[in-house]
Amino acid sequence: MSADPRDTSELREQIALNQQAIDRLNRDLARKSDEIQIIQQISSEITSTLDLDEVLGIVLRAMDTVLGFAHSMILLKDLGDDILRVAATRGYVDQAAGAQVRLGEGVIGVVGERRRMMRIGNIGASMRYLRSVRARMEAAGEVAPAEAPAAALPGLADVQSQLALPLTVKDRLVGVLAVESQTPNAFDELDEILLRIVGNQAATAIDNARTYQMVEQLGRLKRFFSPQLADLIIRGGADDPLKTHRREVTVVFLDLRGFTAFAETSEPEELMGVLHEYHAEMGRLILAHEGTLERFTGDGMMIFFNDPLPMPDAAERAVRMAVTMRDRAAELSVRWRRKGYELDLGIGIAKGFATIGAIGFEGRWDYGAIGTVTNLAARLCGEAKPGQILISPRVLLEVEHLLEVEELGLLTVKGLARPVRPLNVVRLRDPV
Amino acid sequence: MQGVIPSHVVTCSHDGTPNASAISQVYYVDPDHVALSHQFFNKTKRNIEENPRAVVWVVNPETFESWDLELEFVRSETSGSVFEVMEMQIEAIASMVGMKGIFKLRAADIFRVISAAKAVGERIPPAEIPAPR
Repeated sequence: MSADPRDTSELREQIALNQQAIDRLNRDLARKSDEIQIIQQISSEITSTLDLDEVLGIVLRAMDTVLGFAHSMILLKDLGDDILRVAATRGYVDQAAGAQVRLGEGVIGVVGERRRMMRIGNIGASMRYLRSVRARMEAAGEVAPAEAPAAALPGLADVQSQLALPLTVKDRLVGVLAVESQTPNAFDELDEILLRIVGNQAATAIDNARTYQMVEQLGRLKRFFSPQLADLIIRGGADDPLKTHRREVTVVFLDLRGFTAFAETSEPEELMGVLHEYHAEMGRLILAHEGTLERFTGDGMMIFFNDPLPMPDAAERAVRMAVTMRDRAAELSVRWRRKGYELDLGIGIAKGFATIGAIGFEGRWDYGAIGTVTNLAARLCGEAKPGQILISPRVLLEVEHLLEVEELGLLTVKGLARPVRPLNVVRLRDPV
Repeated sequence: MQGVIPSHVVTCSHDGTPNASAISQVYYVDPDHVALSHQFFNKTKRNIEENPRAVVWVVNPETFESWDLELEFVRSETSGSVFEVMEMQIEAIASMVGMKGIFKLRAADIFRVISAAKAVGERIPPAEIPAPR
């Protein structure tokens, strides 16, 4: 400073004050070294679990009880989109779970987009000022009048201070950790440092927990769906399909006529050989038509369409799969017959609403569909003669233009008030 | 320096005509320097080119103490950590009032602090101060 000492006296005073502030900071830091020990303890706690909710809970509890940040939240970014979703909060009356922020929107969104920490202590005043600038620009016709009001951001009403930290693992954004306050200038440099220490640990722990969760879920889903579909469900961030829901599905039942007799008279090795071949061939066709295999029971299989992924052409897929299966089974039968096995495929197809979801108990879950529609499909399958594909009239309605069918006699089905008149699929019509 | 918004800056053209204007950010760089946000091409910017001296008036939001800083323009930054920190804050606020892309930081103007004095005199509320043009 090379100015008149009278001019600089005030500044010197300010510098002295600054020095005092720095000393105070250092004292705080010494006091907070206890807290840093606690933070170390927290970080070992964080890394000791692979449960995502537990990790989030530990981090936010530490924010509050150790660092004294009463209002905190963690938002996570899903793979493949640019949205941050609130995954956990602490210190809010309204838990705001599921609230979301687009990258680039608000303090949290900008922190996520730039992957840089932000500390801001005058949000209310800044917004008031900018709104007045906007109003003047609107009046002068320099900007269009405000469109829809900006989406409400999660967090405190009338927030003044925010400290937001991007959670990154190897430059990849996992989410954002934010603390906030209704007091202006509530956070200082020390808070930044402390948040960063916990945040870095948290990012890795959260990422590990999410990866673990995803692998677990993928494993679970792959048991029921094609690998591609399982992957899609995971990446889509869609609702967990294993949760019970109700949906209209087309259900296909198939089994082998003559299988019971064959099982009683043949050697186990022969039996398993035939089943293996049959399952492999039918399984391939189920995957090719993107059906959901609900279960195997010996020679029986139940497949449905339009769940978990919606398919506008569910009935058509079901029928095309059935016809292809019948052709393939006919080829297999020729070979089996040479070995003396009398086995023929029969198929039943019905359409209707079913209750679908995980059925079972801890340790043994299946993805199942329950409803009259499954009874009807099973009954039609039971009625089918060798090589027949019996469909219900509701299925025919959707695929009539594709098929040549023959009508059969009335059939009563348990659970249905009125008998149904099934139709046998003779063949697919040649494409015109 | 994350103080009451806006702060006010007074500049002078080469012929001595004064101009006062509101400014959204005064950012503490180091004990000798501050950065002022430059968002619009306005009279302040023109005056600084003609006459690098300015006085900025900042208010501590906790104590409402106000200070006049006598400044001299050093350089204009459009990258680097000072620029980025200021720009991020402006973008965050702008996105919340539907001004994203309209209200943005063009440059962080770095000024050397020549002197600082506790300001005296009556203050008018920010609402009555004209927006930067």
